[in-house]
Amino acid sequence: MWKEKYKVGVRLIDEQHQELFNRVSDFVQTIRSEEHWEDKLDKVKETMAFMQEYVVVHFEEEEIYQEKINYPDIQEHKQEHTKFKEGVNHYVKIFEEEGFTEEKIQEFGGRLMTWLIMHVGKMDQKIGAYVEGKGGETQ
Amino acid sequence: MKAEYVNSFYKATNDVFKLMLDLETHKENLVLVEEMVSSKDANVVLGVTGNLKGSVLFSFPRNMVLEMIKIMSGMEVDKIDSFASSALGEVANIIGGNALTVLSQNNYVCDIAPPQIFVGEYKSFSMATEKALKLSLNTSIGAFDIIMYLQPSS
Repeated sequence: MWKEKYKVGVRLIDEQHQELFNRVSDFVQTIRSEEHWEDKLDKVKETMAFMQEYVVVHFEEEEIYQEKINYPDIQEHKQEHTKFKEGVNHYVKIFEEEGFTEEKIQEFGGRLMTWLIMHVGKMDQKIGAYVEGKGGETQ
Repeated sequence: MKAEYVNSFYKATNDVFKLMLDLETHKENLVLVEEMVSSKDANVVLGVTGNLKGSVLFSFPRNMVLEMIKIMSGMEVDKIDSFASSALGEVANIIGGNALTVLSQNNYVCDIAPPQIFVGEYKSFSMATEKALKLSLNTSIGAFDIIMYLQPSS
């Protein structure tokens, strides 16, 4: 799922993005596998817990980095982070209320994959372009 | 219907396809249609509100959707199930969001309703007396349509 073109050229951010892609890719492979649904549930629950925690940590670190480099579109970017987190939390709530149904998990998997590609492939590329314009990585 | 409405969605579609799917889109034709009908296998409808109101319908053939999901996920997909349809709906939603950004640069402030997805159902959507515009686009993995009906809010 991860593609080289998603790199933004900032090591910390790129490493975290690859971790996110690996996890989402694993998650998608699990929910798409032929295994019995009950056998997949542990992986599903583990991914949900991971996403809730890691997405928050990653977004915070990305925002701290943006502040450090005086990234001009930080507010717009923060709004996108908020939307992404709300999207994940929306499904957390659904799973709490309705249980981990296969239908909803598949739906969540499709959305999560698309959000991640869009966010990293578009929004975060702008950070890379800004950093490059400033002469390279600012750690 | 003004060209700038159509161009906003066309530009957004181009950008999102290139970015998310590594695909170029080519304009095949643009025609007036009497009805907004979902004529292909997988359809996503976005409702538009605000300074403009109306609907935008994306209509894709089955094999193209499967190929799109494969490009994104890196996995073979053989049916449009809830995983594939929700990913497709989200791609259309992102296109809609990008189109609204383009429209806002032309001083139209709009919102889109969450996407509605129809797979294997051929529906028509009622409109006022005005005709809709159907934009047909081609890509290396198939051809699809965007049918738009947008009017300024009175």
